[in-house]
Amino acid sequence: MGGNTIIEIINLEKHYKGAADAAVKNLSLIINKDEIFGILGPNGAGKTTTISMLCGIFAPTNGKIIVDGLTFEDNREDIKKIIGVVPQDMALYPTLTARENLSFFGHLLGLHGKALKERINYCLQLFGLEKNADIRVSKFSGGMKRRVNLIAGILHKPKILFLDEPTVGIDVQSRNVIREFLNDLNRTGTTIIYTSHHLEEAETFCTRVAIIDNGQIITLGTPLELIKSHGGANSLEDVFLQITGIKLRDLNYA
Amino acid sequence: MHKFLAILKKEVLLLLRDPSGLAILFLMPMTLVFIMTLIQESTFNTLNEAGIPIVLVDNDKDSLGASVIFGLSNTKACVLTTVLDGKPATVESAEKAVAEGKFMIGIVIPAGATKAIRSNVRSLVEQTLADSTVDLSSIPPVKHDTVEISMFIDPVTKRSFINATTSALREFISQIKSKIIFTTFSEEIEKIIPGKNKATPADIDIVRYREEYAAKDKSFILPNSVQHNVPAWTIFGMFFIVVPLAGSILKEKTEGTSFRLRSLPGNYVTIISGKVSVYVMVCMIQFVLMMCVGVFIIPLLGLPALQLGSSHPGIIAIALSTAIAASGFGVMIGTFATTDHQSAISGSLSIVLFSAIGGIWVPPYVMPSIMQQLSSISPLNWGLNAFYELFLRGAGLMDVWQQSFKLIIFFFLTVLTAHLYNQLKKS
Repeated sequence: MGGNTIIEIINLEKHYKGAADAAVKNLSLIINKDEIFGILGPNGAGKTTTISMLCGIFAPTNGKIIVDGLTFEDNREDIKKIIGVVPQDMALYPTLTARENLSFFGHLLGLHGKALKERINYCLQLFGLEKNADIRVSKFSGGMKRRVNLIAGILHKPKILFLDEPTVGIDVQSRNVIREFLNDLNRTGTTIIYTSHHLEEAETFCTRVAIIDNGQIITLGTPLELIKSHGGANSLEDVFLQITGIKLRDLNYA
Repeated sequence: MHKFLAILKKEVLLLLRDPSGLAILFLMPMTLVFIMTLIQESTFNTLNEAGIPIVLVDNDKDSLGASVIFGLSNTKACVLTTVLDGKPATVESAEKAVAEGKFMIGIVIPAGATKAIRSNVRSLVEQTLADSTVDLSSIPPVKHDTVEISMFIDPVTKRSFINATTSALREFISQIKSKIIFTTFSEEIEKIIPGKNKATPADIDIVRYREEYAAKDKSFILPNSVQHNVPAWTIFGMFFIVVPLAGSILKEKTEGTSFRLRSLPGNYVTIISGKVSVYVMVCMIQFVLMMCVGVFIIPLLGLPALQLGSSHPGIIAIALSTAIAASGFGVMIGTFATTDHQSAISGSLSIVLFSAIGGIWVPPYVMPSIMQQLSSISPLNWGLNAFYELFLRGAGLMDVWQQSFKLIIFFFLTVLTAHLYNQLKKS
């Protein structure tokens, strides 16, 4: 593992029981510190499975994941302390207030007392939620929920932040707030690993992207490199369509 | 510790934020205990206090008919009628009344029944006291007159009621036969040795019965339907914590919080123990409320108050073990279920099955032998037996530790199964 590497994935494979094909096949990748790394791909390409293995939620069938020099086999708890996860679903308790949700997740992240209170207040203010902090999340708009969902993943100032579609289904204002915050977070040293279907956003937001399909990396590079290397492509979306085709992709449940 | 307390707080808040759910959680088990105890009490009363409605046709008009009427009229087990529509009951009117469901049983004492008994007895006595010089084999055998008492039975009548009535009838017939035999013997002896027979039939009633309940200590608790039913339905109600607990686990899976929880530092034991602790507390509050129903509410309706026995540590131990076992089962159901329907149906149906097997509905001793063996695998049966020990047999903590231990083992097995299932899914 090089000095600038924060995540090293070596020959990663995941076979789900009963599935004919592997969800992730022989995937190897290095992600450097301070990157905003995009994992892009069509539905069923293996993005969520890859992220889930990187967060330690699923165990790989084969291969190895090294996070900041640690492996899940030996240092699962230590890795979980330095990563933050923002799932695509609103992973919040709807009948609790924003503050109660954040307090609960903050405690589980190892924070407590005055430090936790101050951190929650700071984040709520940063995301413009301080006035609604004591209102139940079920009464929030989609954008407000997304912001609370994001705060719950960054309360402990993680070294690495995993984001699964963080801006899906929200208004432009909320998206801008989130984008600006994530850029600031990255500037202060947090590595961001991001999955999205929003290719325009990925093109401007990510420093490097990997497009994966059928559980394998098809291409890897900066958005500009990828656009240049694919003749006739004017955007990351063109590259994506050239590589993954124009056919509709539905998840194969067979 | 901070994590554990945070989980406790979160679970309590989630429960408090659903006041109607919370009310159901406490009111439903209390209502269940109340209603089921009353229902079972009324069934118990039908046999023992209110009595079985019986119509009797006395065509005998002699000692047997009079004895049966006197006997049935003086037992609490039945309510006897001999008159229908202002007229003495006849075979036809009695059969019709039973068929219409107005009476559970109809009894017909045939005409000449007593006369037939007397005639049979006299023949036997005469034969017994015959001159020893006479060759008995030369005397032609006595021809016995048969007495047939008919019974009409409403098809809805329980077998136990029929057995109780038949048994009472046999007793009265036996009594009247004894009296006739005694009187006949007395008359014959008077003929042989005049003035020597001074006994009366009443003198032969020399065997008496004394009932005493066996208890492990000297405190006496009168067994009644309240003592039987309140603990049984309390356990049933406590086990229903499975449904909301499984629902809570399932909700975390479907709402995505489970995904976040699995990505956070901390192990399964911390997360699940926080959740289980809250539901065990809820279960204990349910238990206290259901005991209060037995002790304070049920007596307001004229039923006996629940007596809690003499071992409060034993009661707490069994209530706590039952609550823990029920919560473990809830964790397992919630872990396996993937939809609300699965969770609610499998949770409630499995409790109904466990309770049926465990003797909550019907005592295990009336079950077929295979079911009796099966009943010992039900955690509800362990809890029920322990409460019977405490509430009816005057047992103490040391007498029920085995049941408590089994319930705790059940908890560990269910939670371990859930954990292994999660691990399997993760891999």
